[in-house]
Amino acid sequence: MSTTNPASPETIRRRILAFISDELVAEDVEIGPEDDLLSGELLDSVAVLRLATFVDETFAIGMKPTDFLVENFQNVRVLTRYVVRATEGRSPAG
Amino acid sequence: MPVTLHRLVDDAAMRRPDAEAARCDGASLSWSDLARRRNGLARLLVDLGVGRGDRVAVLLGKSLEVPTAFYGVLAAGGALVPIDPKSPVEQIARILRATGATRLVTEPGRRNAVGGLLDAELEISHVVGLEPDDARSMNVAPWSAVDQLASDRPPSVDVDGLDTSYILHTSGSTGEPKLIRHTHASALAFVEWAVEEYGLRADDRLSNHSSHHTCFATFDFYAAARAAATTVILTPAAMLMPASLAQLVERERITVWYSVPTALVQLLLRGDLADRDLSALRWVLFAGETFPDKHLKRLLDLLPGVRFSHVYGSTEVNVCTCYHLPGSGEVPSPLPIGRPCSNAEALVVDEALEPVAGGGTGELLIRGSTVMSGYWGDPALNRQALVRRPASGGLEETYFRTGDRVRTLDDGNLTFAGRADHQVKVRGYRVELEEIEGALLAIEPVHESAALAVPDGDGSSTIRAAVVVDPAAGVTHKSLLKRLQKTLPLYALPSEIGIVDSLPRTPTGKVDRKALAAMLPGHGDRS
Repeated sequence: MSTTNPASPETIRRRILAFISDELVAEDVEIGPEDDLLSGELLDSVAVLRLATFVDETFAIGMKPTDFLVENFQNVRVLTRYVVRATEGRSPAG
Repeated sequence: MPVTLHRLVDDAAMRRPDAEAARCDGASLSWSDLARRRNGLARLLVDLGVGRGDRVAVLLGKSLEVPTAFYGVLAAGGALVPIDPKSPVEQIARILRATGATRLVTEPGRRNAVGGLLDAELEISHVVGLEPDDARSMNVAPWSAVDQLASDRPPSVDVDGLDTSYILHTSGSTGEPKLIRHTHASALAFVEWAVEEYGLRADDRLSNHSSHHTCFATFDFYAAARAAATTVILTPAAMLMPASLAQLVERERITVWYSVPTALVQLLLRGDLADRDLSALRWVLFAGETFPDKHLKRLLDLLPGVRFSHVYGSTEVNVCTCYHLPGSGEVPSPLPIGRPCSNAEALVVDEALEPVAGGGTGELLIRGSTVMSGYWGDPALNRQALVRRPASGGLEETYFRTGDRVRTLDDGNLTFAGRADHQVKVRGYRVELEEIEGALLAIEPVHESAALAVPDGDGSSTIRAAVVVDPAAGVTHKSLLKRLQKTLPLYALPSEIGIVDSLPRTPTGKVDRKALAAMLPGHGDRS
């Protein structure tokens, strides 16, 4: 796995929001960083798994089963924070 | 034994007034508080004109208001219509229209959905649960009105066992939902069986996973009430995050779990079970789909002190057979659906509805006290599904045609052998492929459509669809999916919609589903 320079929090946030609105929700649904992703009425378990896979692959996190926690996925703001933490201090060799 | 569901609360409140009836997200409601709030809502509904048998819809997410709403509607003499809050507004409107619901119990966070329903010209005259300025000219009463009317005495209402208790909804092949009517008696027959079979007791803590509109929830709430036990209502967030769910099951000391296998597989794969102390857990019940052997075996290994029960049924009959796995940790393959419950008779029949000779495969018919009283407002469907034939004593009795094909094993257990129609299961939800095909056809540029279910390897299925479209319309997989999200629930959405020049057909003109499967490689294979 090779990594480039870690993305900025702003870039991470934008890419996650774009993925959710392009791939996971209906056309007329607007998603903001504070919107609850785990209300059960926006995303189902398959969509959540796709989101996790997207985040894992895009930012090369190496997500562990124990990372599937409400506090990491509740909204785009905390998900961004999780990605930042998971990629922090990573050496260029990955 | 009470003859109505809402009386279960009085018995529980008498036995354990201060014990927790329900918990959700750290908050709780005692049995005596539940009884008082139930009375408050029932009084409010009666004041709003609800009479015996009037349909009252309940549109709530996972919260402590759910048991209050359920029992309050019933104590007012109403027939409860629990709505899946995950349904798009269009589908909710169809259910309200078909049941003729005139009152709606909801919560402030749903004012947009309720606003959408108002535009659908329904017969709803009153809404409970919104603030007065939340919904235009509608007659609304907030939840605080329920608390103001809370008291020790329920309104005086005449209801008996043969009154409708609730009307549940599932997918129907025409796109109209199937509305399944149960009486207080048929619901209580299930409750009695469940409490006895699993030895439910007052110190049990049952986790509620399923949506309130499913028959799973009748176990989580009503069977718990009969035992004066506690229902722990799981939030969607916990259910979507398996590691959080595992922590919650440990922290809440859950003793009885009832869900679809998918939820247990997620817990196994991402729940970090080896590090959790689940010693309080004593029963795991699962139903709705096949549990993949490899996952079930691992789960049994990880939870050696837990008994596992494979229960079988449908919303129409609730649970009608069950199979308790041997304590040795062995998993027979295929896993039987077991033997008929003590309140049910099972009959395996051929196409002429005559019993199949020893060990043959046929359709399963069920007779017993838990069978629904019928589909609401659909005599034609009732004639197909509820058939009269001689029972063992020679008298004519009513049997429910499950549409499931089963086989009797040598030891007397039944095993599932497929469906007789195009109904499939997606993470435990019943989905009629025709409904998805119809929803696709309703999109303007779609000329033809076909849907099929493909096993996902984890015991569930994913749906794939193919359409023939007007080439000038410029539709894409994504634009079709986004349109479908307005009419179908999330679980019924195809993971793949292939745009094809023509649908493959068999010589008789039917859609060739095998050939179609080969044409739709699946989401993961797309570039």
